[in-house]
Amino acid sequence: MGKIKSAILTAILLAGIVVLAFFATVSYPIAGSNKVSRYDSFINRISLGSDLSGDASAVLYPEGVISYEDYVSGIPDDKESDKYKEYVDKYEILGSVCVEKEVLGENGVNADKLKNDVKHDAEILSKRFGEKDYTSFSVSVKDDYTILVSLPTNFSYSEYRSQFLDSDYVPNTKSDKTSAISNTLTALTYGGGALTLRNNEVSGYGLYDSKLSNYMLTPASKDISDYIKSADSISRAGNHVVEINLTEEGQKLFEDVSAKISSATNDKNLRIFIGDKQLLEVPLSEAVSGDTFYISTNNQVAADNYAIIIDSCVKGDSLALYYGTDDANNLEITYTNASLGDYSAVCLFCAILAIVVAAIVYSCIRYRLLGLVNAIVILMHSLTIIVALLLIEIPFTVAGAFFAVASLALMCGANFALFEKVRGETLKGKTMQSAIKSGYKSLLKGILELHVVLVAVSLIVALVCVGELAASGLIFFIGAIASYVLYWFTRLMWFILSSTVKDKFAFCGFKREELEDD
Amino acid sequence: MTKLKLSSKMHLFIIISVAVVFIGFLVGIICQFVAGGFFNYGAEFKSYNTVEINYAYVDFSEEEKVVEICDGVFDKAGVSYYNCASGDTSDGGKIIFRFSAGSDEKTLADAANAIQTLLNGDKESSQSYAAFHKVQTTLNGGRVLTYTSIAIASAVVLQLIYYIVRYKLTMALGALLANFHNLALYVALLAMTRIPVGLSAVAFAALTVLFTMIATGYMFDRYRRNLKKENFAKLDGDEQTDICVRESLVNSLYPAIGVAVLAVILFVMLSVSAMSVVGVISPVVLSVLAVASAIYGSMFFMPPVYTRIKRIGDAVKNRSKKNNK
Repeated sequence: MGKIKSAILTAILLAGIVVLAFFATVSYPIAGSNKVSRYDSFINRISLGSDLSGDASAVLYPEGVISYEDYVSGIPDDKESDKYKEYVDKYEILGSVCVEKEVLGENGVNADKLKNDVKHDAEILSKRFGEKDYTSFSVSVKDDYTILVSLPTNFSYSEYRSQFLDSDYVPNTKSDKTSAISNTLTALTYGGGALTLRNNEVSGYGLYDSKLSNYMLTPASKDISDYIKSADSISRAGNHVVEINLTEEGQKLFEDVSAKISSATNDKNLRIFIGDKQLLEVPLSEAVSGDTFYISTNNQVAADNYAIIIDSCVKGDSLALYYGTDDANNLEITYTNASLGDYSAVCLFCAILAIVVAAIVYSCIRYRLLGLVNAIVILMHSLTIIVALLLIEIPFTVAGAFFAVASLALMCGANFALFEKVRGETLKGKTMQSAIKSGYKSLLKGILELHVVLVAVSLIVALVCVGELAASGLIFFIGAIASYVLYWFTRLMWFILSSTVKDKFAFCGFKREELEDD
Repeated sequence: MTKLKLSSKMHLFIIISVAVVFIGFLVGIICQFVAGGFFNYGAEFKSYNTVEINYAYVDFSEEEKVVEICDGVFDKAGVSYYNCASGDTSDGGKIIFRFSAGSDEKTLADAANAIQTLLNGDKESSQSYAAFHKVQTTLNGGRVLTYTSIAIASAVVLQLIYYIVRYKLTMALGALLANFHNLALYVALLAMTRIPVGLSAVAFAALTVLFTMIATGYMFDRYRRNLKKENFAKLDGDEQTDICVRESLVNSLYPAIGVAVLAVILFVMLSVSAMSVVGVISPVVLSVLAVASAIYGSMFFMPPVYTRIKRIGDAVKNRSKKNNK
């Protein structure tokens, strides 16, 4: 390759890396927006796991149970009044919660049942939130009578800063994440009874419910699982739907009921209730047929949530108690900071940066200009991971960082092994071109085998495991593939960069063994 | 390093492994009855107590002031928390202090009352609250454990099939044995050292298997290549194994050293962030245990045992050859 060609290719590549690295790492206010708008770098936009961005938690109080704080704040001021006595007599103080005596029953006979119901509901909620593929979450029984749900906020660093570190700039995406958390907590905690299909006008096969003033569309003697097999969410091309798979009996029912509802005069909605509360209403303009029924939703979060709760109820996992979470006033969400400190994400970034710099410095010292080739592929690997985290929206945790760096180490290890092999070949007196060829040839199977094994293992971890481990497996999978591709890219860069140099051995810091002329 | 001879020390390594696994499981079983668990379960798997403070920003504009008051009360009560998280509510700030489940509930409830009194001072109506809570977190760990176990089992089975195809049945059995041995060793060390076992411990179990795969892969690859050499093939099994271990030891140690360096760097930086080493030390120790189990099991325990497996395999092969003749 000619010097000019080599210089042009190197310049284009380096310019590309520098530009990408700039946008990946530097955030700045957009000129002319008076510092209102801001460009957020890629790393500032990566979703972080709960260890780096904190949790959102909410306490669910069953009907008839309130916190001690709410009890105290609700006590009437006039201690002599009837209202005061009535209020104080109404509740039993049990540690940090207060339970209505009516709910506890005479002499607290229902206390154990209430505790067991709460525990049972917590187990169901744990299953439901488990379906959301969070990197970490927890559902716990708190003070025997309430349920504590903690979800990862998955804030990016700029969102986290605006929440906890008094930053003036609030990214637009933050409200999306907080509303997703709020909607998930609301939708998945619907309780107080089984799932039923209803309509205000059409009777279907069920009876009139005088309490809710509507008709049940299925007979009381039948279970919803007789009609619905399962529910799933589908998101394609910007459309988000809940797919409801019907049984044969369900197909007949939906066909019949949808025909009646679509021709009704006042209420053309299929209403899905859980207990006494409406989960969602589906407008029907015509009769539906087939073994699947689709419900269109606004976004993927809503589709996921509805699919999870419908599927859970169909499988018999309905919450025994009503937690009032359909009313936004009853759901107080607390955002807590990162368990590893407010600046844990920054510290983690610094740690990774230190490792990257150390790898670059080491390769430059040991392999001189060839070290620069390694530095280029290290930067490309790092940028690949950053872009993948951003595009695939993998929540980044400390474990994820560990696996990301491990994949970088894999690539450096493969390159160093190659460089040493080539050094060994040059010591045998081979030319540079021949040494490189032999080096690559002798390591071909070993490097390929190592990468194939690691890619297979990381794929298994990503597909089979759940939560943080699955996310880490996915990161390592991407990193290992990038490592192998960049291993071969090293050869190309080596060729391009060294083509301008006369002494190709000095370029790599190698020495050629001078063979005696026979 | 060049004179490393392991094959003759099979009994020694078996005794060491059995002793460690036995002691670990014994400690675990005793703790199951005495200390409430085979392992010392971490925050993700075990119940805990909290003292939660809700304070009004009107009274306390700085969180540090509230934490200072609480720390004073906890010191006086003789209790210490292992985690402190702060956040915002619609009314003000919230601080949650986590205590281990074994901490005295009455002491914590009294401490909460004392904090509430101090926070509200002489005010008639209380704006700030402090309350003691019991939290039973026993629900989520099982799911993670189940799926991780499935993943590890799938990886081990795939490795077995791959080794049978690429290497030999005896090598595949050797690698399988190494996987079981190293996992048992890791589990025993967890039980013995009483390090808090959380999600990171499960992740490091997967790392143990991964390292074992890499180390056994290096060794058997070396074995397979060396067997093509005439001189090597003439040596007896013990010598062959020793040579392969020597040749692959450095390659297997590189990833281990890499993980150790990585763990130390992350430990230092995250300790700076958390302003404490308590929460960060456990993953570092776990990574050391995982790597130590994998390296010891793959490079010291497995090779001599493999030599015996190989000998048995060769004997069976020869016998079947004779029978065929």
